[in-house]
Amino acid sequence: MSSWSQIRTVIRREIGIWIKRPIYVVGSLLTIVFCTVFFLTFLKDGLPSDLPIGVVDLDHSTFSRNFTAQLDATQLGEVIQYDDFASARSAMQKGEITSFCLIPENMYADVQAGRQPTMTFYVNGLYFVGGALAWKDLLTMTNLTGGAIKRQVLRAKGMNETQMQGLLRPVDIDTHQIGNMMTDYGVYLTNSLLPGILEMIVILIVVYSLGTELKYGTSRHLLEKSGMSITRALAGKLIVYTLYFSVIGIIMMLILYHWMHFPMQGSIWNMFLAIVLLVLASEGVAVFIIGLLPVLRFAVSVSAIYSILGFSLAGFTLPVETMMPWLQGLAAAFPLRHYYLFFVQESLFGAGFAGWWTQVIWLLAFLLPPLAVLPRLKNAYIYQNYAKN
Amino acid sequence: MSFVKTWLHNFLDIMLHELRGIFKDVGVLIIFFVGGLGYPIVYSLVYHNGILEDTPIAVVDDSADPYSRRYIRELDATREVSVAYSCVNMEEARSLLQKRKVNGIVYFPRDFGEKVVRGETAKLSIYADMSSFLYYKNLLMGANFVMLDEIKNIQIERFSAAGYSGQTLSQLVEPMKYEDNNPYNRAFSYGIFFLSAALLLVIQQTMFYGMSLRAGTMREESHSPALLPSVVEGSGVGRVVLGRGAAYWLLYMGIGMYIAYIIPAAFGLPQRGDFRDIFILLLFFITDCVLFCSTWSSLITRRETVFILFLFMSPVALFLTGFSWPTSAFPAFWKYFSYIFPSTFGCQAFINLNTAGGDLSTVRDLIAALAVQTIVYYVLSSVAIYVENWIIRHKELLQQKRNLVEERIGRGLGDRVSMDL
Repeated sequence: MSSWSQIRTVIRREIGIWIKRPIYVVGSLLTIVFCTVFFLTFLKDGLPSDLPIGVVDLDHSTFSRNFTAQLDATQLGEVIQYDDFASARSAMQKGEITSFCLIPENMYADVQAGRQPTMTFYVNGLYFVGGALAWKDLLTMTNLTGGAIKRQVLRAKGMNETQMQGLLRPVDIDTHQIGNMMTDYGVYLTNSLLPGILEMIVILIVVYSLGTELKYGTSRHLLEKSGMSITRALAGKLIVYTLYFSVIGIIMMLILYHWMHFPMQGSIWNMFLAIVLLVLASEGVAVFIIGLLPVLRFAVSVSAIYSILGFSLAGFTLPVETMMPWLQGLAAAFPLRHYYLFFVQESLFGAGFAGWWTQVIWLLAFLLPPLAVLPRLKNAYIYQNYAKN
Repeated sequence: MSFVKTWLHNFLDIMLHELRGIFKDVGVLIIFFVGGLGYPIVYSLVYHNGILEDTPIAVVDDSADPYSRRYIRELDATREVSVAYSCVNMEEARSLLQKRKVNGIVYFPRDFGEKVVRGETAKLSIYADMSSFLYYKNLLMGANFVMLDEIKNIQIERFSAAGYSGQTLSQLVEPMKYEDNNPYNRAFSYGIFFLSAALLLVIQQTMFYGMSLRAGTMREESHSPALLPSVVEGSGVGRVVLGRGAAYWLLYMGIGMYIAYIIPAAFGLPQRGDFRDIFILLLFFITDCVLFCSTWSSLITRRETVFILFLFMSPVALFLTGFSWPTSAFPAFWKYFSYIFPSTFGCQAFINLNTAGGDLSTVRDLIAALAVQTIVYYVLSSVAIYVENWIIRHKELLQQKRNLVEERIGRGLGDRVSMDL
């Protein structure tokens, strides 16, 4: 038999296994569908609105009521009133509000009299998005209120509107967000989280598929089909998984960039390349893990620990440059890291090949470590001399 | 009296049997001790610094006047950004951004200084790299702090020129002051934020994977945990659930205390809570986790299934704690969905107690929720054991019925029935 027909036999065998025990293939698909639905619906607002913000109004003047009403009217905030500092503080500790501001007694009278009163606000920085946004909202409102008072004073001094404008706001900032114009938190996270889930599933399923041959002692049968060649056996098996997961990955890209219209400066075709490379690199990792530890139960536990860590070390939340140097180096050992860097170049900057070719090399490099463990895996397949469980 | 005695005897037997099983299974030990003990260390190392400082930015100054130069100097002095490159045009800056030498650009147009001098509003532009929100936050905060300061400086110059001075000048520039406090996470450290939520999640997830591995293995070897000892046949469900649970509970009270007390102390995370309050939280949370895991692990029939089918729940459960995307913005469906997990309440309670320094009154409702969950999961896991035990005991009967169906209406339908079972 020619090697190609041997590979074809292995492919047919693998498809037979899928049909006989479809739970893992169907389960992996359901997982990805669930996560896609979860992240797209959970974060669909992009930016939270109507965050509960506390106000402790000890002033009870028209001025403080006006401030409260304006804060409530912002898209971001929704005001909850508290009678005193203690109850607002306890609400913040409970996580009911992420921030509150304290309007001191006689605030308005002090402003009128030129005694420059101080408004205080408190933020719970343990809720990152909510806290930072509420803080920004309060800061903006305070500055606007300060501006309104100045405007009154200047008008009383006889200044006209044009003169006032330049005086009240001599400098202004025009903000441009490259690659995510709406500062959409959902777009930002989903872009990297979903491929991360795919990486995780590919590693687990491939490790399972290769390890299960050992567990149920079917590995010799597999090798017979491939003419005692581990390369052809793996080729046959991996062709099936590569096709299957590449199709899933490409559909994922279509959902994100075509259907959901996530920002894309470059070309979706290049993202297809990226996701297929991510699938290949993840398969490389999987073969390496099962080759190194040819016992299904260890290999699956190790894969789980490895792939969960990948989310943190990819660096799309906390940038890796804040981490210790050895961790920055370790981050390179996760395909998701390189996918993320590829994605940034293509989707945010539209840099094309010149921007991401190094990442392609990195991702392809994940295909090399398996070569080192192939003989070991072959021995395990022939002798089945490791603990089955 | 003798009932209590037998009960305790059986309970202890089941617990010791389960403990022996755990320590014989290397896969479970990897999850409990490498995962449960190791993950908190790895996360603490990864997020140890957790603060992004001096984000490099490029500056394009087409105006080149005293105002823009002062702005750039002040920008460089902020904690948030540092001016790494001074570019002649936007092209150069953009290519630096694309090569990831800088994570943001600040651009001063040609008329910036003129506008300031003419008393108009001078506009500068910032371009933020959105590949991480922390780059964006740093550039935005840095530029805005300097802007507020510059506004004050320029106003002081203007009003001084108009003849105001001293107290009047200060009142004009700053009719009211503000002060901001971020008491629990002063520097907006990503590490404090992430670890406060993730630590207790490690308890729940590693326990779930470990217990499911055990349950799957036992079912594979066809001595499912639902096989009640013959002495307690039928009435011993409570003993089995509690006895098995007690084994994990004991282990995890140890691992839990390590995660809740030792890890924060070792890595300098805030520990503002009272030792006893946190202990009470651990009692409720770990009891709830044990019953949660024992309920859901009834679905696991094979050893490796749990990772392949449920590993993705770890990031999902993390988001459902509301630590990142605020709970108030959850879509209704996911809000109710989050009530499935002990972590939804436990992680928030830990944040409130340990990191925000609240007392038990601030977590009263969360602890009550954990208690309700515990009861629900106790009932569910008992039912699951009871049903599985019934099925095992009536296997033959079921098989007979199946054969009967097959005989009566042919193989095709019989297959479908067997799949349903």
